[in-house]
Amino acid sequence: MMVPIFTLKLNHKINPRMVAVGKFDGVHPCLTAATQAGKVFIHNPHDRGQRPAGHRLSQSAHDSDVSLLNINQAVTCLTAGTLGPNSTGDTLLVGSQTNLLAYDVHDNTDVFYRDVTDGANAIVLGKLGDISSPLAIIGGNCALQGFDYEGNDHFWTVTGDNVRSLVLCDFTGDGKNELLVGSEDFDIRVFKEDQLVSEMTENETVTSLCHMHGSRFGYALANGTVGVYDRTARYWRIKSKNHAMSIHAFDLNGDGVVELITGWSNGKIDARSDRTGEVIFKDNFSSSVAGVVEGDYRLDGQKQLICTSIEGEVRGYLPASKDLKGNLMDSNTEQDLIRELSQRRQNLLLELRNYEENAKGVSQTNSRMGVIPANTQLQTALSVRASTEAQKAHVELSISTPNETIIRAVLIFAEGIFEGESHVVHPSVQNLSGCVRVPIIPPKDIPVDLHIKAFVGGRTSTQFHVFEITRQLPRFSMYEITEDSSAALPAGRVSFSINERPQRVVMWLNQNFLLPEVIESPNVSFNSLRGGGCMSFHMASNGQITLSTDDIDLAGDLVQSLCSFLAIEDLSVEADFPSYYEELRTTLTEVDEFHSVHQKLTADMADHSNYIRNMLVQAEDARLMADMRTMKKRYRELYDLNRDLINEYKIRSNNHNALLARLKSVNQAIQRAGRLRVGKPKNQVIAACRDAIKSNNVNALFRVMRAGTASS
Amino acid sequence: MELHLHRVDYTQVGVTSQKTMRLLPALGKKATQKVAIADQDGVITCFGMKKGEAVPVFKTLPGPKIARMDLGGAAGTPQEKIFVCSGSQVRGFTKKGKQFLTFEANLTESINAMHVSGADLFVCASYIYNHYCDCKDQDYFLSGDKINDITCLSSEKLPHLVPVLACQDRVLRVLQGSELAYDVEVPGPPSVLELYNKDGGQEVLYGTTDGKIGLVQIGDCAAVTRWEIENEKKKGGILCIDTYDITGDGVNDILVGRDDGTVEVYGFDSSSEPALRFEHVLTESVTSIQGGCVGKEPYEEVLTATYTGWVTGLTTEPERAEAVQGEEVRMSKETQCKIEALRAELEQLQVKVLQGREQYQQTSQSSTAVSAVPIFSINDKFTLCQDDASYSLTLEVQTAIDNLLLQSDVPIDLLDVDKNSAVVSFSECDSEQPNGNFLLATYRCQANTTRLELKVRSIEGQYGTLQAYVTPRLQPKTCQVRQYQIKPLSLHQRTHSIDPDRPMNRLSLVGQFSFAEIHSWVVFCLPEVPEKTPAGESVTFYFHNTFLGTQLEATYCKGEGHFKSDNISTISILRDVLSKEATKKKINLNISYDIDDDSVSHTLQMIHPKLEYQLLLAKKVQLIDALKELQVHEGNADFLIPEYRSVLDESANLLEEYKKQPAHLERLYGMITDLFIDKFKFKGQNVKTKVSSLLDILDSYDLNSLLDFFNEP
Repeated sequence: MMVPIFTLKLNHKINPRMVAVGKFDGVHPCLTAATQAGKVFIHNPHDRGQRPAGHRLSQSAHDSDVSLLNINQAVTCLTAGTLGPNSTGDTLLVGSQTNLLAYDVHDNTDVFYRDVTDGANAIVLGKLGDISSPLAIIGGNCALQGFDYEGNDHFWTVTGDNVRSLVLCDFTGDGKNELLVGSEDFDIRVFKEDQLVSEMTENETVTSLCHMHGSRFGYALANGTVGVYDRTARYWRIKSKNHAMSIHAFDLNGDGVVELITGWSNGKIDARSDRTGEVIFKDNFSSSVAGVVEGDYRLDGQKQLICTSIEGEVRGYLPASKDLKGNLMDSNTEQDLIRELSQRRQNLLLELRNYEENAKGVSQTNSRMGVIPANTQLQTALSVRASTEAQKAHVELSISTPNETIIRAVLIFAEGIFEGESHVVHPSVQNLSGCVRVPIIPPKDIPVDLHIKAFVGGRTSTQFHVFEITRQLPRFSMYEITEDSSAALPAGRVSFSINERPQRVVMWLNQNFLLPEVIESPNVSFNSLRGGGCMSFHMASNGQITLSTDDIDLAGDLVQSLCSFLAIEDLSVEADFPSYYEELRTTLTEVDEFHSVHQKLTADMADHSNYIRNMLVQAEDARLMADMRTMKKRYRELYDLNRDLINEYKIRSNNHNALLARLKSVNQAIQRAGRLRVGKPKNQVIAACRDAIKSNNVNALFRVMRAGTASS
Repeated sequence: MELHLHRVDYTQVGVTSQKTMRLLPALGKKATQKVAIADQDGVITCFGMKKGEAVPVFKTLPGPKIARMDLGGAAGTPQEKIFVCSGSQVRGFTKKGKQFLTFEANLTESINAMHVSGADLFVCASYIYNHYCDCKDQDYFLSGDKINDITCLSSEKLPHLVPVLACQDRVLRVLQGSELAYDVEVPGPPSVLELYNKDGGQEVLYGTTDGKIGLVQIGDCAAVTRWEIENEKKKGGILCIDTYDITGDGVNDILVGRDDGTVEVYGFDSSSEPALRFEHVLTESVTSIQGGCVGKEPYEEVLTATYTGWVTGLTTEPERAEAVQGEEVRMSKETQCKIEALRAELEQLQVKVLQGREQYQQTSQSSTAVSAVPIFSINDKFTLCQDDASYSLTLEVQTAIDNLLLQSDVPIDLLDVDKNSAVVSFSECDSEQPNGNFLLATYRCQANTTRLELKVRSIEGQYGTLQAYVTPRLQPKTCQVRQYQIKPLSLHQRTHSIDPDRPMNRLSLVGQFSFAEIHSWVVFCLPEVPEKTPAGESVTFYFHNTFLGTQLEATYCKGEGHFKSDNISTISILRDVLSKEATKKKINLNISYDIDDDSVSHTLQMIHPKLEYQLLLAKKVQLIDALKELQVHEGNADFLIPEYRSVLDESANLLEEYKKQPAHLERLYGMITDLFIDKFKFKGQNVKTKVSSLLDILDSYDLNSLLDFFNEP
């Protein structure tokens, strides 16, 4: 049984996922974590009390090993590592909703302090692609930004939604690091510098990523899933009812291969094999785990796994020694194996008994047992249902039995389309029948496997046969084909030409849409059941495809899906979405307005603070001169001023939030323009859009979005 | 004194019932004992251990489910005859496996408890007790509630045998012949009885379904409780007890097996108080426990049998890791053989199963064949927990559970249980007709989960059924549904007596109904009432509300029923449900009530300390984070007033306490609102419009203003 080699109680709370180990003097590793009240603490047990206080740094009152760093803002992410080329030790990087601070703890000085309008939800430090110096890359609202040691912004790109996790790893195996980005739209995206090379869709917000080895990486989702990917293929995953707070790769059993260490919200720590996900070690904290890191904390040349809880408890584990033979848990493997085999034998015996009893036949018609004709087979069908007065538009899954048996209940397990992971239909006793219709409304256009379990039996049975069927819901299932071609086409339009036979496109249409019958021609119109209006698809004989829809996201999804089906690597597109562009134009003007308001408010605040200083001096003067009336008057004024300031602060923060929302939608617009293209043209569009925004050239921006390039 | 025991698995049989494993007395010089175990397939297996391998002595053919096992023998000889009961039949076997007795008790119900003593046989089947001597009928007794277990005092000192019955209505009934001598009140429904001293004596150990253990001294006309062990850690209910001196201090220790898999050993300290010496948690219910020596001389051990039929020893033999290197290799060779044998057997089975599967598939082609899968056994328990006034549902299946669907047609809350690792998912439900589902939740279980524990919180007055559909990982896949009634007064629990001094509200019913009819209505309304109509002309039951502590007395007979409670809401619920039930049967009821206005303020005053405590707790918990931040900011907490400093010091306890009672405050608010509405309902006023102002008063709670509000006209 493996036990921690050290345990510390730090008396400081630790914010989840904001823990790092840094050698700030180049030698001694220090545990660094964000705590309450906008502070960061640095635990340095190695050289006691030699550091001067002052500037940002102050000594903690009740623990001499801990120094506190005042950030004065809620910390949102934190890391430590080598940033500058000739600094002695590691640099500490602290991100907040508005700023990024690079700080030299050893010298107690700021390296740089940058405003980041998109916020910093996640941070990673290291080398990216061909960029020569290490970068501190932060992920904010739809944007990624990388700074070098001088605070120069060397890297900038946009991504689909708010970034929640980042990691650097050599994904493509070319010897250079790619950036993996996990975001709130459930995607893990891989950037080779600013070029998007891969995209994996999960079914919840990606909260953590960590590099295992080679091209293998671990991930954690907000719904309690953790797992391992190798490139774009998922190796394994498990789901727990608890949430994974932090994941880290560490070789705990000493076999030369790292394991995925997960810290859970219920205080559990487990180490899982990177190949199978099998638990090889576990331990428990009394409160939720805050972060899992590694470092040579005892300065004996061996790295330890360091786990921290939100209550400030720290435990260090050494990798297991050889004689434990990888058996880290207090268990007897032989006994366990025998037990497992016996259990399997028992299961087989039970199954055998089931068949034997079944073969014997039922002597008496026992209604409880749920006897059904042996040839019962369930029929399932998927169809699109337009909205009626009673029900919203939905996809209907109908399940029926061919005989007089009834369906007691239907359980559907599917990812990403229900609130939880399952949906249940349980008719009341009076309404039992052999047919169940399940309305499904997929919120996003994703292909979904529906794992259906139907309980089939008699009306009075207490035991039912369970039928397990898997059906796939095609990607674009919420679209109903319309024959009515007279309706005006939407103004939004994407056109491009491909070098493919129309049959292939028809095949794609048949596979990705829920059609009542197979279609023959690629010229079709659909009605969106989500109320997005009409969408029409037209392919001319020369391979020119026109997609008409006002929904730019849908257009992007269609282009991406079609291109991956036809294996098209590069595709440039003409895209015109007049109403969306108009909206974006308004947003851009609003951004300018909010910016100027922001500046004005900041100036006002500076004025006020000067005023306060004066007033305070006057009031104190009056007090010293025992002029109580003036003093009271001054303090009353001060009180009023304070109230004004608070009000102003509220305005400012509202303004800031509105600004953030606008910036996010601008970033999203660039992302959407990119999604309409594939391959190189896609990256060109993103880069050109970004240039246009940088140079504040709105017209060029729209030109890029429309034609794919700025020059025309 | 510390006790170290190591777990050794011996063998596995079929699903076992409570108290179906016994250790046969040791033979001659040999200290190791043989194990006799009976399972629900009707098989009795007797085996001994030889070099770490279970060697069967005999094994009977499958038959009807065996409910109990006991050992017996003529007085003065070793007790080595094996008696088992299945259905209404008792069979006896010698230690060699020869059947020497078949006795048909001719009871309409199956025997569920049995005791053998010399030539005397005692059997119980739900409410009935029968005593046979040399297979001749001696005594007979009809109990007021279900009999869970039986034991019998016998010693030279006593003129006759004294049977003791453990009955569901929280009493031990001590009999004399066919008559009840007296009954002994115990703190919970007793599930198991065991003699403290196997050689005689008058002390009886009992265990309850809510996890309490006690020792009572059975006297001639009264009993004395020696001690009781509370169930503070909320472990499972007791299924089996044995006494054995495992600690080797010359005093018999108490071995306990619980339905959540906990095995405990209690020793006695110098003041003869029981103290926990050892605890081990198995993954499934412990159905039988025995102390003895099975695996290896001279190491004593605690032998357990679990629900799925595992026979496991917790032995005093030191673990193998401490043995010398050479020995370890030899031992693993033995296990290696065992594993090989198992694997070979598995392969054979696999082939057979494949054949079975194929045949099964073939039948699906035929249009006349039917598919009927035998019913698998589920061990379930749905009980009210006294301390947090919520129901706990435990489900246990022989093989791993794949998923569980919970459905309810009444509004209930499903609470998270820490032990439970299954992934729960709530499905949207249409509470209106036609389907009327208020709860639809699925539990997807992790591999190897054979036991699930859930917690459910009900609301009094809302009644219906909770259904659990259990699907095990077994081919062909089937699922079984279990139903649990949520009764209108679901939070009430039977009690032995009530406080007569409280102001009481009365509800009286008069009408043309039989005793059986009104009894069935009471059974419908209240938990823990025996389904069988009690003997006699009339009956009285006492209850208390586990959440509020209010009480209820129900007295009824043919044509008349009287209910008394200090809680006006209880009376209101009873009135509504009883009149509805009577209407269903088209019986005209004459309902009269007598409301004591003082009872409302009395109830409010009973709620007051709970409410005040909860409010204070909520307030303190709210402050903790802010105070901690101040502490970090200032470096210490010395500047705070003592009240706040104490909040900081106790923060961990406060948080834990707060977490333990989720939504406690909301529940109290709900009950006060009900009380308010019900009070005026009896006066014929509808005050639903005033509820919002009541909630305002509760938000800034003060007992006097609340009392004033209730007393407003």
